[in-house]
Formats: sequence, C-alpha cells, structure tokens
Amino acid sequence: MSKTQILTVDDSPSMRMLLRVALTERGYDVEQAEDGLEALDWLGDNKPHVIITDINMPRMDGFELIESLRTEGDHQTVPILVLSTESSDEKKNRARSAGATGWIVKPFDPDKLAAAVRRVAL
Amino acid sequence: MPGVMTMAQRAAKRNRISVMQGTRRVTGNPNVVFTTILGSCVTACLFDKHASVGGMNHFLLSEPPQGSGHKAQEIERYGVYAMEVLINDMLKAGAQRQYLSAHLYGGANLHQGMQAIGTANSTFATNFLATEGIPVIHASLGGRAARRVEFRPASGLARCRILIDDVVFEMPVKQKTEPVGELELF
Repeated sequence: MSKTQILTVDDSPSMRMLLRVALTERGYDVEQAEDGLEALDWLGDNKPHVIITDINMPRMDGFELIESLRTEGDHQTVPILVLSTESSDEKKNRARSAGATGWIVKPFDPDKLAAAVRRVAL
Repeated sequence: MPGVMTMAQRAAKRNRISVMQGTRRVTGNPNVVFTTILGSCVTACLFDKHASVGGMNHFLLSEPPQGSGHKAQEIERYGVYAMEVLINDMLKAGAQRQYLSAHLYGGANLHQGMQAIGTANSTFATNFLATEGIPVIHASLGGRAARRVEFRPASGLARCRILIDDVVFEMPVKQKTEPVGELELF
C-alpha cells in the first residue's frame, strides 16, 4: 500500500519545516504549498489523501481555499483539516460552512496531529 | 502657549504598557510605549514602517535541548507559536509580512552554571527571523545581565538598557498551558 499523502498549506517557512518533520517522521508523504493559490495550482494535477491548511495567508487564505475546493473540481470530498492559531467560534463556523472537516488549534502536538490525520483519512 | 504640549504633558499623555511573559501586544497608537524587563526571556519587537504598526512579544522557552531531538522540536514548536501569533496580530492591524523588521532583546544567562536557557532562546529567535526573511534592525542578546526594553510601536523606535544589579525572577512557561492540538471534528 502506498503512503498516505498530505498537502500542508502554510505561509510560514518555520511552520512548514515543523510540519514536514513531524509528518514525515510519522510515515506520511508530505507536499507543501505556501498559500491557497499555490495549493490550488498543485491540486490541479494531484490528489492528496488529506489537506492541512492554515487560515491567515497572503494572496488566498484558508477559507477561500476550502470554498474553492468544495465548489467544484476533484477535491470536493478530500478531508481538510484547518490548523490555525485562531480558535474563535466565528472562524470555526466559517470553516465548517465552507466545508472543512475539522479544526486544530496551534501549537500542534505531532502525535495528536498524526492521530487526527489517521482519523479523517479516507 | 495654547496647542503646544510641554515635555511633561507629552510624557503624561503617553500610555506605557508592560508586556508580560507569555503575552504580546500590537498597536499603531503613537502615544503607546511598550515596556518589558527581561532575563533569559526574549522579546521580539516587530515593526512595519509603511503601516506604522508595531508589536512586542515576550517569551521564555523551556530548558535547552540535551541532545534529545524530541525536546528541541518541542521548544521550536512553542517558539514558532509565540512568533506566529504576534505576526498574525500585526497583519490584522494592517501590517504586511514583507515589510516587517525586527528588534531582538534578552536571552541573558543570568546564573553561571545554569543551563544556557538564554542562549537557547536567543538562538531560536535569531534563526526564526532568518528563516522567515524578517530583517533584524538591532539585537542585544546574551550576556549575564537583565535588560529593560522600551518600544514605541508606531515609530519602531526601541531602547534597551542593561540592568546591572537588578534581579529578575522568571519561570519558564509554555505559551499555552491548556491542552493543545486537539482535533475538533465538524
């Protein structure tokens, strides 16, 4: 069986590094984009098993990315986990109605993050 | 003279806000001065000169890594979190990531023979800003003495004074003590 592939979307290089190390160490195949637009571009040719996205990003934020993926195309059912410093109900509700699968508040715990991925991965 | 404030009046009008360990403040208000006292802790003062918005955090990461890769990653995660929430608050106040510059202060090793917590904090902060491409305008890090820092967020001016004889008490605390990273399924 091939590895579970995860796309992480975050504008911070430090956060991308942390995510890459944490998920690679736990056996996942990790691809990375630095904002919503770069993610959409890569998703044009690829189908990851899970997407983990930040909310606050330049050019295209996490909300817009989720809305765009759920509206049309090949990614209407892929599990999308939001990983954000935000924890307000207002933002969570917005992500929920956009079609996100779940929400994780930063800072993340690597084992819990991997457990969350296992839980939602199709 | 009507309409002209004396120095004393201006100083009285200034709003001094102490930034405590584990917190951060952001504003574009020209009357605000952020202040903090640091031992091993580090403060990053971020500034966007186009938006005239500044912010300060104040963090102390737990003990330095003792060859355990796991521990080093944990320090890194909490440090990245402390910086990310400050940057996000800056962006919400109108700053743009590409215009951010930084001052870094603190990271003293107050007691000889203790683990070099200050050095670990300084190294983290310096590496973080380099990785993020945020230029450091001025840094005063390390040594054995505490520091008092004043930062004017709207103008980006910072002043750092070494406190030779002062004793600063601080305890390493994680930026968040409640359980973190829990999944909330929608």
